[in-house]
Amino acid sequence: MTAELDPLIHVPTRLRIVATLAALPDGDALSFTRLQDMLGLTPGNLIIQLRKLEEAGYLSSEKTRTGSAQKTTVALTARGRTALAAYTRALRDLLGGLDEDGRAVPAARTAVTPPAAPGGC
Amino acid sequence: MDHIPGAAAGQDGDFDPRQAAALLDQVTVQARRTFTPLTPLLWIFRAFIALAVFGGCWLSVRGEHPYTGHIGGWVPALAVVLVIVNIGWTAVVIAHAGDGVSGPAQRKWHAWLGVMAVAWIIAYGVTAPLYHAAAAHPVWGLYPASAPLLIIGVAGAAIAAAFRYWPLTGTTLAFAVVAAAAGFGGPAGSWLIMGIGLCAACLGTAAFTAWRQNRGVVRP
Repeated sequence: MTAELDPLIHVPTRLRIVATLAALPDGDALSFTRLQDMLGLTPGNLIIQLRKLEEAGYLSSEKTRTGSAQKTTVALTARGRTALAAYTRALRDLLGGLDEDGRAVPAARTAVTPPAAPGGC
Repeated sequence: MDHIPGAAAGQDGDFDPRQAAALLDQVTVQARRTFTPLTPLLWIFRAFIALAVFGGCWLSVRGEHPYTGHIGGWVPALAVVLVIVNIGWTAVVIAHAGDGVSGPAQRKWHAWLGVMAVAWIIAYGVTAPLYHAAAAHPVWGLYPASAPLLIIGVAGAAIAAAFRYWPLTGTTLAFAVVAAAAGFGGPAGSWLIMGIGLCAACLGTAAFTAWRQNRGVVRP
């Protein structure tokens, strides 16, 4: 069922990271600490997930040093935005083919069943 | 913090697509709310300011025959308090939305804010020399009612359009249109038109901002 969904994004933590960064305007970056605050993740967990996304080219990170303090910012890349858009489309397609209980709607049944006439007649 | 559907779900295998859709929609809405600098609540407050201040001015001058442009003592005091609260609230929400955010869009946003601050200072700053020069009462009465917002609206719309901030372009253009229309309302009537028009423009912006924030990406 999840074959069409990007396995790199189709993990709750990584989906939350990507969706949060996608809400920023294209090209803007978010500091590691703010992202951590927003998602409520431990630094270790966030670093692991960010590394996986960065290795896939979905996000970029930049480290800057001001005096003794080091600041890390992360941003979604164009590839990451494209991947999220494709993931969203795949979700829509999947959900369009599921009934309320999450079962796949048989294509034959939908094709054969005639549409109800307007007004219920 | 709201419950995040699927946040506690296991990795990879058991993450249901419906859970994923709900999670994606919820996180997107939360992130939009966090990063939106001018919140719907702030726009509603601004609508109240417009109605209270411009409406107060209209109540103060509507009985003047002939028109002198003299505005009762409580209205300027109310305006000063509300404007100070508005500036403070705006500064807080903008700082919160931009906390930890950097990049070209953020720099453009700060440039827009700077231009708008200058436009507000120039447009309303002119009223002081106008008053000092003992301008005729109808001029003195008409200028503060509509001219500053016409200048601010046009300047704001031009720059917002250049930066492709389409919702802000609409709002500032609406301000300019209301101010231009108020110019035809006569000395007293212009205050009323400004109050109602600006209030409607701010409420419309609040409704549009709320709609944009809350629509889902999987289930719009």
